[in-house]
Amino acid sequence: MSVDSNEKEYPVVKISGLTKRFGSTVALDDVSLKIPRGVVFALLGENGAGKSTCLRTLLGLEQPDSGSIEVLGMDSSKQGIDIRASVGYVPEAPALYEWMTVAEIGWFTAGFYPTGFQAEFERLATEYELPLDRKIKKLSKGGKAKVSLALAAAHKPPLMIMDEPTSGLDTLVRRKFLESMVDIAASGRTVLLSSHQIPEVERVADTVAIINQGQLLVCDSLDNLKQSMEQWIVTLASGITELPSIDAEILLHEGQGSRRQRLLVRNTTPDCLWKMRDAHDVQEVEVHTPSLEEIFVGLIKSSKNKVSDKLSSAASNQSAEVSQ
Amino acid sequence: MSELFFEINPSNGVPVYEQVARQIVSAVASGGLESGQMVPSVREMAKELAINPNTVARAYRQLQDEAILETVRGSGIAVASGAKQKCRSKRAKIIRGRIAGVMEEARQSQLSDEEIMKMIQTELRKRTK
Repeated sequence: MSVDSNEKEYPVVKISGLTKRFGSTVALDDVSLKIPRGVVFALLGENGAGKSTCLRTLLGLEQPDSGSIEVLGMDSSKQGIDIRASVGYVPEAPALYEWMTVAEIGWFTAGFYPTGFQAEFERLATEYELPLDRKIKKLSKGGKAKVSLALAAAHKPPLMIMDEPTSGLDTLVRRKFLESMVDIAASGRTVLLSSHQIPEVERVADTVAIINQGQLLVCDSLDNLKQSMEQWIVTLASGITELPSIDAEILLHEGQGSRRQRLLVRNTTPDCLWKMRDAHDVQEVEVHTPSLEEIFVGLIKSSKNKVSDKLSSAASNQSAEVSQ
Repeated sequence: MSELFFEINPSNGVPVYEQVARQIVSAVASGGLESGQMVPSVREMAKELAINPNTVARAYRQLQDEAILETVRGSGIAVASGAKQKCRSKRAKIIRGRIAGVMEEARQSQLSDEEIMKMIQTELRKRTK
């Protein structure tokens, strides 16, 4: 049908207005995003930001309070089982049958999938240097993580979902995980991962979504994100500590009250930079492309400031009412 | 390809595709990669460097546009003939750009032309021993 002919444009994941609460805590607040085919898509956020909840809801392991999710054309709230059978999922803490050997768990899991699973599992296990005859309980943490990855990837799913895949793993295992993500995307399949390992995400991801306190702060390609922001280090003339006003969105402002100040600005124009450079009190402006880490910190901090601004203005409104 | 030892730093401000392209240019300029020699496929290169495959594809596309790489029908991507000369002048341009950056910084730290010149000569002398 038309879905087939549009397969490339048809998003692999489509989240619309997703809201999820746990008691009075809002874990996800009206999140909408689309993930196209063949990309490495990273969900970034601090611990407790809502990343895992988002992945679990997507897999049908949690029901949304409102909004909807489609994964590979299926409805997460109704077809969770089908979705979980179609995608590869590497959970944050994989639960494996400890008493089985590596080969046995491959054979056992192969029973749930079409033929070819076991051969591919063993090929991956060998590539990851896993001893096939070793019992799972005798494997290191990294070894278990590799088993979990091989199990998730062996049926060559069109979508791999990885929840904090590299946290707590040593360098060589992390590298294997990164290589496997890259390889999956290079074969035209899609990877969705959640992470707070920002430098790794900067290496492998095409598209980045940043979540904070359940809210989606940004969802864009890494290239666009970096192009939309600049880091300015402004040196003021001696005796001056006040920055001239600028016509751009300032996400981060450090060193206020001193002669050297660091800014993270968004959607600025060359004109705006020239104005700053030409300003009487400005001695020098150095311009850098920010790293993903700087962008991340800038967005999180500025969103927290907005929240506290709102709170403080609400508080001052209240006190105004009281005084009346 | 592993003998080329590419080094990628995603957070140093230079776009990653540009870093890949520059290192290929540099390898061709120095003769580490010769005309007609195949470069790894996008998939192999992405895996080798553990970077996004679309980033590698972008670097390759740029170098194909500049006729430094070319598609060889049925077998992949190779270094184009006459690429060495192009890469040498391209590499010189990149280095000139870097020197210009350093000059700018030197000027801003109020060094005189004589002082800058002296520094350059000292550095050059260190290397001609």
